[in-house]
Amino acid sequence: MKKGRLKIFFSYGESSKKTVAMLKAARSAKSQGEDVLVGCIPSNISEEASGLLDGLERLSPMMMGEKEEFDLDLALERKPGLILVDELAHSNGPKSRHRKRYQDVGELLKSGIDVYTTVNVGNIESLHDTVTGITGITTWERIPDSVFDQADQVELIDMEPQELLERLKESDTADSRFTMEQLTALREAALRRCADRVKRLADRQRKNSFHTDEHILVCLSSAPSNAKIIRTASRMARAFGSQFTALFVETPAFGAASLENKQRLRDNQALARQLGAHIEIVYGEDVPYQIAEFARVFGITKIVVGRSTITRRHLFGKMTLTEQLISYVPELDIHIIPDGSADMVYRPQKAGNHGRLAILKNTAKSVGILTGATLLSLGFYRLGFTEANIIMVYILGVLLTSTAASHQIYSLVSSIASVFIFNFLFTHPRFSLSAYETGYPVTFVVMFLTAYITGTFAIRYKEQAGQSAKIAYRTKILFEMAQLLSKAADRQEIINALARQLMKLLNRNILIFENVDGELLGPHMFGTNGAFAFPYDLDGELATAKWVLKNNHAAGATTDTLSHSKYIYLALRVSERVYGVVGIEAQNYPLDVSEHGILLSILGECALALENEKNLREKEAAAVLAEGEQLRANLLRTISHDLRTPLTTILGNASSLMGNGEIFDQETKRQIYSDIYDDAMWLINLVENLLYATRIEEGRMTLHTSTELLSDIVEEAIKHVSRKAKDHRLCVVCDDDLILVKADAKLVVQVIVNIVDNAIKYTMPGTSVEVRARQSGDMAEILIADSGNGISDQEKEQIFDKFYCGIHKIADNRRSLGLGLYLCKAIVEAHGGTIYVRDNKPQGAIFGFTLPLEEVTLYE
Amino acid sequence: MNKLQILVVEDDAPVRNLITTTLKAHDYRFTAAVNGNSAIMEAASRNPDIILLDLGLPDMDGVEVIGRIRNWSNVPIIVISARSEDSDKIDALDAGADDYLTKPFSVDELLARLRVTQRRLALMQGSSQQQAVFVNGRLRIDYASGCVYLQEEELHLTPIEYKLLCLLAQNTGKVLTHKFITQSVWGSSWDNDVGSLRVFMATLRKKLEKAPDSPQYIQTHIGIGYRMLKLE
Repeated sequence: MKKGRLKIFFSYGESSKKTVAMLKAARSAKSQGEDVLVGCIPSNISEEASGLLDGLERLSPMMMGEKEEFDLDLALERKPGLILVDELAHSNGPKSRHRKRYQDVGELLKSGIDVYTTVNVGNIESLHDTVTGITGITTWERIPDSVFDQADQVELIDMEPQELLERLKESDTADSRFTMEQLTALREAALRRCADRVKRLADRQRKNSFHTDEHILVCLSSAPSNAKIIRTASRMARAFGSQFTALFVETPAFGAASLENKQRLRDNQALARQLGAHIEIVYGEDVPYQIAEFARVFGITKIVVGRSTITRRHLFGKMTLTEQLISYVPELDIHIIPDGSADMVYRPQKAGNHGRLAILKNTAKSVGILTGATLLSLGFYRLGFTEANIIMVYILGVLLTSTAASHQIYSLVSSIASVFIFNFLFTHPRFSLSAYETGYPVTFVVMFLTAYITGTFAIRYKEQAGQSAKIAYRTKILFEMAQLLSKAADRQEIINALARQLMKLLNRNILIFENVDGELLGPHMFGTNGAFAFPYDLDGELATAKWVLKNNHAAGATTDTLSHSKYIYLALRVSERVYGVVGIEAQNYPLDVSEHGILLSILGECALALENEKNLREKEAAAVLAEGEQLRANLLRTISHDLRTPLTTILGNASSLMGNGEIFDQETKRQIYSDIYDDAMWLINLVENLLYATRIEEGRMTLHTSTELLSDIVEEAIKHVSRKAKDHRLCVVCDDDLILVKADAKLVVQVIVNIVDNAIKYTMPGTSVEVRARQSGDMAEILIADSGNGISDQEKEQIFDKFYCGIHKIADNRRSLGLGLYLCKAIVEAHGGTIYVRDNKPQGAIFGFTLPLEEVTLYE
Repeated sequence: MNKLQILVVEDDAPVRNLITTTLKAHDYRFTAAVNGNSAIMEAASRNPDIILLDLGLPDMDGVEVIGRIRNWSNVPIIVISARSEDSDKIDALDAGADDYLTKPFSVDELLARLRVTQRRLALMQGSSQQQAVFVNGRLRIDYASGCVYLQEEELHLTPIEYKLLCLLAQNTGKVLTHKFITQSVWGSSWDNDVGSLRVFMATLRKKLEKAPDSPQYIQTHIGIGYRMLKLE
């Protein structure tokens, strides 16, 4: 489908002039025959604008409580050629499908509707800091730069600041306080942004990739000031036309960060992505080292950091992060962005999820260990051990505390407590906090430092071990995924593997929908505790999943779209092709940044597997089709050749009877009649076999089985062949009249007819053919024995193949199409029986086949 | 003796010619109709003795023609069908047809079916009032006493066999479908009944046709049903 075109009316300063310009453009479009619809226009517009609204169709708004909102579904349903949606940066009400209006517009464009809209200079994400700097007003309603840059047309509504100032004064809005200087600065920003966009478009036209050799790296963090740094970095990247990467170094401590910080990190990450950055995540404890390594490996040329990160705490941190970074990568440019709130030191807060219980537990552990150490020391003291031993015991105690407790504070407190207890109990004078010996203060300090440092290292080691285990676990999950996928034979197995690995990774309930010809199939539900009943409104969730399928974009809980859903829905896709939708429970606890990365790679891998599976299936179907075509072509060629011969005889004989019927004597006439008759019979039999053969080829040979008496079937078959067998002795033996079989009688009759026909055709007149029906084990068996020349071993292997006509060409080989026995085999095997040929004694061949027996309960 | 009036309903001219020529050669009187509506008209106006009806007619389905005629007439109907599916024949038989022929058929087969139906007609005329005794060749059924005799020798039949035999005897010459028989005898028509039916029919036939020179009383129509033949 053709995408709609987006036209933005862009201005600086809040004035209705851009709305007026938009309406004028809409009127002129309407006069040219365009189907114009006014989607939403604020109610407080100027008189000039409301005058322009006359004669334009307006979409009725959707009521959300007191507020009127743009009704996206109604607009999509109405499907005009052009729709007017004012204020692109508007934030929608809480129950709307999308959080932001520009997402609504995106959907309109996708469905082929042209859109006119308005944007103010302060609404553009990358200009946010600039505009705030000029006006001192923070705008919350912003659009990503990409929306602005990718618009098909941007019309700048420019006017002299003087004129604007007068207008604003009249309108008496919040902006009326602006001074001339502020307006001039805003105008400059707007003009510059437009020029920037034009330059970028020109660049893009000149060459596909406008990247220079520059590569800018910005560091993500959960700091509130990080957003500003990201925006600055993106502006730099744009100015340099360089690649742009956002890096997050996940430290062991981050797992314990508060939910608020995690949320902020997610927001910053989303912002970076919106501004066109690639998101990368590395794990490690030494942040500057990790950044430096990354920069080196990926050829980063510029690193952007904020000043607030400089104040980050380090144990022996004489050097700041920036200084460390410089020492690691002296050859790189490092840009330090001043932070308006730099004097307010930001420290990542640990999550308050310890709770009172955890504190109590940790305290109890620490106190317990300390008490143990003290008791042991008292024992040593009694035994007259030296103080050195006692100090060692306390250091050991602190070490144990560090490994047992979950926070550094416990080892610190333990260290201090140990020193004091040691002082109090074991130094002279005992039971006082003073010490006589001049060496003791040194002993205390050394003891404290030793205990504390040992404890800190223990904690750090523990955290690192935990993190490596986590990374190893995730790597293992990815690895297992690849293994499972390579083993998976069909779609179901792929989906099962996906669900298993996702549950291992996330420990949440999973829903998986398959995309079957554009329709969602499922959901397959996978609960962490086995099967689970979906406790929510399944229809609402299904609607979200469908939206994801249609728009190939994540939606649901924790996203900007349909966020009222309980699950987050992600598309299983390979670029534009969506193979399914995965729902992950995420209402109350969003996905971690690092989880998200692994999740995406698992989904990508799985989508690829689904695509491969689909391609394979299509290939197989195509191969089957091709084979079918080939067979049909063979069949047609054979038939058209073989049909001509008997038809020629019939035609010729009939015409000679019509022309010279009188001159033939009785005997000749009788011969001609019987020739016609025989050839017609042959054709009839051929048509029957062909009909069955086509049905087998098309795979629609459905058996209409019922309970049949074997003797009835044999009798019926003999009726069909007995006329041809006038030169042979045909005898029928039914060992038991009451053998019941489960069979499609017509087809089995055809099998017997075909085999007996063959026997008659390929053996000398005067020989005998015996048909015998009997029970053999738990199967019924029918044997057709002749006393002809028999069948060679080589032929026995091929005799049931299609179009096999035997190697000894009988005089008129048109008599065989090579279908009869092929059909017999197909029919018998469809019944679950077997067919075979063996030698008869003393000569000839025996064809036999089996059919499943049927038990019958008699109803008297 | 073949002064029977036969209505031939067939839209295909060569087949119609073949049938009418055969009838002419064997001294039957006949009229022909080429579609369902004219067939019903002819049947009403000429009151034929037998109808030969092709199922694939241009204006309406043959089964529907049978249904319409059966509203007011019991004239024997022999269905001629090019459809090889058994279900078509069964539908026609259940709708009220007496017998069927599958294209391609031989002239001999056609004549044989006509003879069978002719005998059935004679029987129907003879037994217009419910008779107490049924005689067919060497077979005699005494309905009053519930006894069956073969060459004046009493046959020992189970109750079901007796029921089956009576049902076939009362419809001599007519092909009865499995469904019809099981519904008449068991009052139901399950798959299992068909199995039972086969067994009872086989034992019944064994008892009736045990002598080597015995003529065939009951004909098996595989996949369709059974028919009792009227013997001369």
